[in-house]
Amino acid sequence: MSDCSVEARGLVKRFGPIVAVDGVSFCIREGEIFSLLGPNGAGKTTTIRMLSTLLKPTSGDAYIKGYSVTRESGIVRKLIGLVPQELTADDELTGWDNVMILARLYGLRGKEAEERAREVLEFMGLTDAARRRVATYSGGMRRRLEIAMSLIHDPPILFMDEPTLGLDVQARRHLWDLIMELRRQSRTILLTTHYMEEAESLADRVAIIDRGKIVAEGSPEELKSRVSGDRIYIKPRDPGLLEAIRSRLASLGLDASLDSEGVVVKVYKAEDSLVDIVRSLGDSEIAEFRIVKPNLEEVFLELTGKRLREEEALDAFRYRFVTRRLRR
Amino acid sequence: MLREALILAGREAKKWFGRRAVFVISIITPLMWIALFGKSFNIGSLIGVDIEIPGLPPGVAEAIKAALQERVKSIFGTLDYFTYVTSGMLVVFTLFQSSFGAVGAVFDKRIGYMTRLLVAPISRASIYLAKLLGTLLRITLLSALLLAVAVPLGFQFKEGIGPLDILATWGIILLLAAGFTSLFLAIAFKADNQEVIFATANLLNLPLMFTSSALFPVRQMPEWLQSIAKVNPVTYAANLVRYHLIGAPLDAYTHDLLYLLGLSIILILAGFALSMKALEEL
Repeated sequence: MSDCSVEARGLVKRFGPIVAVDGVSFCIREGEIFSLLGPNGAGKTTTIRMLSTLLKPTSGDAYIKGYSVTRESGIVRKLIGLVPQELTADDELTGWDNVMILARLYGLRGKEAEERAREVLEFMGLTDAARRRVATYSGGMRRRLEIAMSLIHDPPILFMDEPTLGLDVQARRHLWDLIMELRRQSRTILLTTHYMEEAESLADRVAIIDRGKIVAEGSPEELKSRVSGDRIYIKPRDPGLLEAIRSRLASLGLDASLDSEGVVVKVYKAEDSLVDIVRSLGDSEIAEFRIVKPNLEEVFLELTGKRLREEEALDAFRYRFVTRRLRR
Repeated sequence: MLREALILAGREAKKWFGRRAVFVISIITPLMWIALFGKSFNIGSLIGVDIEIPGLPPGVAEAIKAALQERVKSIFGTLDYFTYVTSGMLVVFTLFQSSFGAVGAVFDKRIGYMTRLLVAPISRASIYLAKLLGTLLRITLLSALLLAVAVPLGFQFKEGIGPLDILATWGIILLLAAGFTSLFLAIAFKADNQEVIFATANLLNLPLMFTSSALFPVRQMPEWLQSIAKVNPVTYAANLVRYHLIGAPLDAYTHDLLYLLGLSIILILAGFALSMKALEEL
C-alpha cells in the first residue's frame, strides 16, 4: 500500500452525457493541506462527493488510509470529516443541539459527548452563540458551525468544499487561521477553492483542475515556476492604439501579444525591460500599466487559456443560491 | 441502528416542540370537523323528538321511536353523531398526519441536513426509522389531544371502557399510521420538492376519507361505493377504533384486524424497501 492518506485512482464520474470528473488521480500525504483549484464546474465538488462516499464513481476508486471509498464506506465515514459546500446545520435548532445530535450519532455518550461538543464549539469560537438558534447566526458563524460539526468525531482527514464561499475578507482570513490551526493538529486536509489566494496561502500542494481533469500539480512555488517570468499588462486609453503598441514592443524583440486585458508582454524579469518599454510607449496615453509577478492565476491562464477571475462574477449569484437553499 | 434512530427522532421532537404554534394549528382542522360537522349533523335530536300523529296510541308512538333509535344505533353504533364522527376523525387525522410527517424528509434534503446524515457512519435504515418514529410520536400526542378536547364537547366513551381498549385504539392508529407514513416517506426520499407530497396527499387522503366509514356508515352507501369502502383500510381502522372506544358493534373483529394488519405490513415493507432504494441513490 502507498503512504497516501487520501489517494484517488482514475476517478471518473459521468452524469448522462456529461463527464464531470474525467480520470482524476492524486495522492495526499499525511498532515498536508492539498488544494483542488479550479473554476466552478471543474469537477471539484463531484470529486469530494466521491471521496466522502456520497457518490459512486462511474469508474476508478479512492482510498482513505488504504480503505476503499466504494467497498469499505463504513470505515471511511469514521475517518473523514466533511465540510460540504452547502450549509447543513438545522437552523431551527441551536448550535449546541446540532453538534450534540452529531456527537451522539458518531457514538459518543453522555458526558463524553457534551465535553466534545463544548470543545469543538469553543475551537470555532461559537461558545457564546451555542444556545442560540442557528437561524440567527451570521454567514461566517454558520460556516464555522459547519466545521465544528465536521470535527465532532476528531477525524484525521478533513474534506472542505469551498469553505469560504461567499464570506467577506475578514471572515475569510479568520477561517484561514482556523484551517492552519487544524493542520497544526496534524490533520490531513483536502480543500477545494476557486480563490487562488486561498490555495496559495494555505496549501502545501495544489492540483489545478479544469473540465474534470487535473492539468497540473505541485507546491504553489513549483507551479508558479512553470510560468516563464513576469507579465506586463499595458492598456492605452485609446483601444485603437493596441496593435501599434504591440508591434512596437515586438520590434524591440519582446514577446508581446494581445488579450482581453490589453497588450501582454512576457519577460523574464520585469525590472530588466521596464525602461525600454516605457521609452517605446512615447507619449501614447496609457490607462493602465501593470506588472504581474507569477501567481496561480497566471499559471491557470497559461495552462487552460482561461482566467479564474472570469468566473467570479458568478459568485454573488451562487452565494445567493446557496443561502436561499439553507433558509428554506 | 435503533439508538441512532432514537437520537434522530429526538431531533424531530425537539424541532416540533420548538414550534408550538404548529401544534395548536394542526389540531384546529380536525376540531372544526368534529365540532362543526359533528354537532350540526345531529341525528340524535332528529329522532329524539316525540312522535305526534293524531289518533296514534301513546304506546305505539313510543314503540316507533324506540325502533327508530334502535335502527340508528345499529347503523351508527351510537345515537350521537358527534361521538361517531370524532372516532372516525381520529383515524382520518392519523392519515393526514402520516403524509405531513414525510414533508420533513424532503426538507432535510433541501437544507443539506441529509448530506450530514449520509456521510455519518450510521445505517440508512436508521434515517428512515427516525422519520417513522417521529411521525408516530406526533400522531400519538395529537390524537390524545384531540380526544382530550372532544370529551368536554360531549364525546361518549362506551360503558365500562378499560385501559386495554385505549391501548388497542392506540395500536390500531399506529398500525395505519406506520403503513401510510412509510409509503409517504418513500415518496419523500425520492422527491426533490415538498409539492410532490402535498399533491399525493390530496390525491390520496380525501378519497380515502370519503370512501370509508369515517364520516358515514358503509351500510348506507350505494352499492358501488360500498365495494370501495370494503377494501379501504381507513374503514377497517375506523370500525376497530369505534368498537373499542364507543362500543359500536363489529361483526368480524378478527377478520378486520387481520386485514388492517396485513395491509399495513405490506405498506410498511414496500415503503421501507423503496425508501432504502431512494436513500442509496441520493
